Amino acid sequence: MTTVTLTINGAEIVAEAGLTILEVARRSDIIIPTLCHVQGKPTGNPCQMCMVEIEGQEDLILSCVSPAQEGMVITSDSDRIAAHRLERLAILAETHFGDCKAPCNLTCPGQINVQGYIAHVAKGQYEEALRLVMERNPLPFSVGRVCPRFCETRCRRILVDEPVSINHLKRFVADWCMSHEIDLEIPKDAPTGKRIAVIGGGPAGLTAAHFLTRKGHDVTIFESSPMLGGALRYGFLEYRIPRDVLNYEINTILRLGVSVKLSQKWGKDFTLQSLKDQGYDAIFIATGTGVDIPLEIPGAVNPHTYSAMKYLRRMAEGKAPDMGKRAAVIGGNNIAMEVARTLIRQGVAEVTVIYPRSRVEMPAHQRNIREADKEGAQFLLMASPVTIADSVEQGSRLKLELIRMKLGEPDAKGVRQPEPMPGSSNILQVDSIVSSLGQRAVSDTFSGGELEKTIALSPNKTIDANVRSSQININGVFAGGDAVSGPRSVIQAVVSARRAADNIHAYVMGVPKEEGESRFNFTRGKGFDDVDLKNFDGINVKLREKMPTRPPEICSQDFDEVKLGFSEKMALHEAERCLSCGCTAYDRCDLKELAINHNLNINKTGMGTTPVYARDYSHPAIIVDKNKCIFCGRCERACEYDALELGADSFDDKGRPVGLILGFNDKCVSCGKCVDSCSTGALNKKAQTIPLHTEPVTEVRSTCPYCGAGCQIILRVKGKTIIEVTADPEQAPNYGALCVKGRFGHEFIQHKERLTKPLIRKNGMLVETSWDEALDYTAKKLFDLKAMYGPDSIAGFSCARATNEENFLMQKFMRTSIGTNNIDHCARL
Amino acid sequence: MTNSIADIIEADVIMVIGSNADTSHPTIGLRIHQAKKNGSKLLVIDPRRTGFADEADLWLRPNPGSDVALLNGMVHVILEEGIWDKTFVEERTENFEELEIVTAKYTPDYVEKITGIAEAQLRAAARLYASPGKKCAIFYGMGLAHHATGTDNVKSVANLAMLCGKLGVAGGGVNPLRGQNNVQGACDMGALFNTLPGYAGLNNDDVFDRYEKIWEVKLPRRKGKAATEVWDAILEGDIKGIYVFGEDPVLADPNAHHAVAALEKLDFLIVQDIFLTDTAKMADIVFPAACYAEKDGTFTCTERRVQRVRKAVEPPGEAKADWQIFCELSHRMGYDMPYTHPEEIFNEVTQLMPQYAGITYERIEKVGLQWPVPTQDHPGTPVLHIGRFTQGKGLFIPEDYTPPTEMPDAEYPLMLTTIREIPQYNFGSMTRKTPEIEALCPEPFAEINHEDAVRLGIDDLDTIEVSSRRGTVQLRAKISDRSQLGTIAIPYHFAEVPVNNLTLNSLDRLSRSPQYKICAIKATKVEA
Repeated sequence: MTTVTLTINGAEIVAEAGLTILEVARRSDIIIPTLCHVQGKPTGNPCQMCMVEIEGQEDLILSCVSPAQEGMVITSDSDRIAAHRLERLAILAETHFGDCKAPCNLTCPGQINVQGYIAHVAKGQYEEALRLVMERNPLPFSVGRVCPRFCETRCRRILVDEPVSINHLKRFVADWCMSHEIDLEIPKDAPTGKRIAVIGGGPAGLTAAHFLTRKGHDVTIFESSPMLGGALRYGFLEYRIPRDVLNYEINTILRLGVSVKLSQKWGKDFTLQSLKDQGYDAIFIATGTGVDIPLEIPGAVNPHTYSAMKYLRRMAEGKAPDMGKRAAVIGGNNIAMEVARTLIRQGVAEVTVIYPRSRVEMPAHQRNIREADKEGAQFLLMASPVTIADSVEQGSRLKLELIRMKLGEPDAKGVRQPEPMPGSSNILQVDSIVSSLGQRAVSDTFSGGELEKTIALSPNKTIDANVRSSQININGVFAGGDAVSGPRSVIQAVVSARRAADNIHAYVMGVPKEEGESRFNFTRGKGFDDVDLKNFDGINVKLREKMPTRPPEICSQDFDEVKLGFSEKMALHEAERCLSCGCTAYDRCDLKELAINHNLNINKTGMGTTPVYARDYSHPAIIVDKNKCIFCGRCERACEYDALELGADSFDDKGRPVGLILGFNDKCVSCGKCVDSCSTGALNKKAQTIPLHTEPVTEVRSTCPYCGAGCQIILRVKGKTIIEVTADPEQAPNYGALCVKGRFGHEFIQHKERLTKPLIRKNGMLVETSWDEALDYTAKKLFDLKAMYGPDSIAGFSCARATNEENFLMQKFMRTSIGTNNIDHCARL
Repeated sequence: MTNSIADIIEADVIMVIGSNADTSHPTIGLRIHQAKKNGSKLLVIDPRRTGFADEADLWLRPNPGSDVALLNGMVHVILEEGIWDKTFVEERTENFEELEIVTAKYTPDYVEKITGIAEAQLRAAARLYASPGKKCAIFYGMGLAHHATGTDNVKSVANLAMLCGKLGVAGGGVNPLRGQNNVQGACDMGALFNTLPGYAGLNNDDVFDRYEKIWEVKLPRRKGKAATEVWDAILEGDIKGIYVFGEDPVLADPNAHHAVAALEKLDFLIVQDIFLTDTAKMADIVFPAACYAEKDGTFTCTERRVQRVRKAVEPPGEAKADWQIFCELSHRMGYDMPYTHPEEIFNEVTQLMPQYAGITYERIEKVGLQWPVPTQDHPGTPVLHIGRFTQGKGLFIPEDYTPPTEMPDAEYPLMLTTIREIPQYNFGSMTRKTPEIEALCPEPFAEINHEDAVRLGIDDLDTIEVSSRRGTVQLRAKISDRSQLGTIAIPYHFAEVPVNNLTLNSLDRLSRSPQYKICAIKATKVEA
């Protein structure tokens, strides 16, 4: 072999002669980016990403076609090259049109791969859907019931009819897995030996425990109550989150291997110092906001006036206080709505919510207000409590004096604050009052130990933790959830705790925190107004499935769950409504990856804004979206059948195609190699509907199970599901070539008709049985036949589809255990 | 295959006989087309106008089942014209005289009478393949093997290749294309009634002694029954119990009614499969098995390459890997197979089989090895028979032409041949579960020649009834000049059109392969 010696980026390389610079670089693990390169098939329209500098030559040259020559001094990483690449990328990005991630995904505070789990539902892969949710949210049962559903507000389907019922689908998969007793078998990293204390077993504490345990840490939750759950148990009553569901959810987390200490009061049973002394490597405070802001009006301290948290907790503990027949709820937040609905269920005949502004200004979610309204809560708006006194009237305990409010002049920020209307006194006769004026982490300062006293607090009496690091002002102590943010939704607590878990992991392991996902995103339009309605041509109206709900007049009589959950059929139907906005080539898109690596700011340089071409679904296995095509030509050149027609009516001044032609001719054998070669998401497999973001995907190399050609395949596995099958262009004997069966024909693996249990014939019918019975019975029958008729009365058919090892064992079994050469297989068939 | 897929591109001449690799082995078909494009000459012998026939430099369209006569005719011409490889024949073969004697009567005239191939074409084909000094590869498939004279066909191909000295060189060879992913391996492993693993014959007492020592058990040394013979043995009362591992004879066997009748008579039927196949529905016991993606192991492909199969996902429910089922059942039968991983089984295979002796899982971690691999430092054997034949000298075994068992007659005037469609595989139990594949190929069509269609009053897409002496199927017709005059071709992937109810269980006398490719049928239009 003749060789050449050259230098790339300062490294001297001895390479085989006759290779291109790009090939030499690749073989030396030097990455020179390219968007258009197909081994052995140069293009006349190069992407120019692979251009390099050669000492002594003024112009940049294409490394993909230039032969590596003796003594060359090559640079592939200079500023000049980077600038050139950036310029080229900007040109390509300018006409690339599509969504990298779907708006639901981007809007979700948890950054959950919403489109992915909906696609799993549509395929009937409920277990995998839940596993995907659990990658980022370990509380799918609760969140699936109480989430404010930020995602649904941005669902593009709104521009067609109604948003997809995303949250109900999440709840469906969680409930389905519970009722089918699915063990998700969530993987855990090897033990790190690090111990972490989590104070508080509510949503944030449980979330942190989940993710830290998955990272291999030894986590102990310290919970002050006798049961875990925090706000999930004591803030939402059974009609929102049934106890058996909540217990199941918590147990799913604990089964990972989390230690729990119940009825442990912080400051009394333990302190930060005592935890440190016990050798915990980090402490996470997730105590939530269990302290109500007090109602500070005359007469507020009386036996019939409760704060919201205290009232709800007593109800949750089954120690219902006597609230009489009429109750007032002071406050308009979400917790106030829970209080009102709980009072109604408790049997209070008249429940009046009092709020100083109008209904639309109430901080509670409108959905929650509507539910309370439907169940019979009354709303006294534009009113504020003044005093509470013992009632003198027959049949009521308290006299609540109110003052009517009106909106004042706009303040500096333009907000019209309510002002009392002088002299407008109202009297409300009630038996009990519950105030819900907001919650904080602590009433004054933390206590119980020296360290506790020093915890820095915000003016709102929440813990002051660094937004990026989750650390508080004490080394090794982190905080998250409502205790830091004040009362927020469950999903927000989950996110806060997940971030904290990442930070704690980095802290205890002494490693840098994993980089967050890039925010780089092509979008078909940020706001609804930016989205071209042509995007939805051909999409028919299909309204969302209605959540089966018990009628308010009935459900308000008891504490049973109000919303009953989707049936499987409804879930499938609803999942099919998803428009699949996000790109299913997300994980393999070279354009996106290079744009991120080169810090391309497409918000400045521009991206496509309108769909120029309709998506083409005419191929049986492949979807073509020409709006994403960057005309790299890899599909055409990778195709070994000359089956792709790629061209353009003309080219614009920057060399981009106008009137793009991309289609298949009748030579196409649907082998799908073009899709695996596509540099963006212009070509997609119809069956690959799951966008893969940061979820771990395992690539398992194997051999195709069809004909005897022995093609090498790569099974891409996410969770426990094969997502797609590809091939390695470098691997003998097929060098990336597969037929339609090899690339697409693997749905049988996870088909519902697979046999899952041994069957035995009883009374003429095949019925399920245990392995023991099936094997014992078989062995006995074979013994009997041998004894009665001799071993040659038994014959075995082996399997040309099974492995060598198994064929070997089958013939060994027949020859040894049975004692016959009556063994054969279908070689001839 | 004596040779490798990778050296197809090196062939000067490629002869394809009885194979439509475009549908049966698409990635190999692709390489043959690429070689053609790259300058190789393509010689196609097939009654059916395949995609290869369309591209061929020379296409011979013989009468179905006349291959031995045609191949003998080619030998005859080559001898007559003196263009055989005399050195090769002299140095590396024996029994040449017998070849001369047997093929003497296969004059072009005589051959034309049997095959319908004119002398000029026969001579052109013989010259093209013989091309002295050129590398010529033969590829054949089930179109050659699925005949009552299948082994005769194969031997005749081997005779031709040896005569012309086309073996032991990259770009040459005799290359059977194996139909199933591991049919090569299943044969290698001795899942055969007439050999032990590694093709050690049942008459080899030394091998038996060795196996008995290693396996610590007395082994039966009498011959077993071939799968295709089992049905008669059941009906005659000799066989009472069957263990069917991953096969569906109810659909797959020729004259399937015969197989069903036999299965019904059985005392005990065990089926081990991934789906409840038609055969499994008749079983007394069904063991649920893991599929290829749910277990570790190896497959051996048609080019003798031993490659890894790796577990990617868990089997569904309580399904188990087949090897585990064998171990558990064997244990209950009193013979322990205490394997804990397929690699342990493989290591036993390599200990017993000289062809696999040098292979380890570690060595095939990235790229598979082509057997024989006699030692752990042996690089594998991409081309067999370089310099010398494995068995010493190559033996010419000339055979005479025997007509197919069932030829058309007045009552059944047409011939049936069974074919594959590219998207589907075998009986569709796997492929038909992928919607894209069903979209590409949702139903079978009876491919019928235009002239036959006109004569029978059949229009394109008419529903027709096709019957043989053994059964009847209905399906739609597709008028196509791919089918030879007098022949209807039907794909066999579709359980709703069980074409093996028509086929003939006439077996090759040695290999016991059935004659899937020819039986006499009649076809009539079904009036709506």
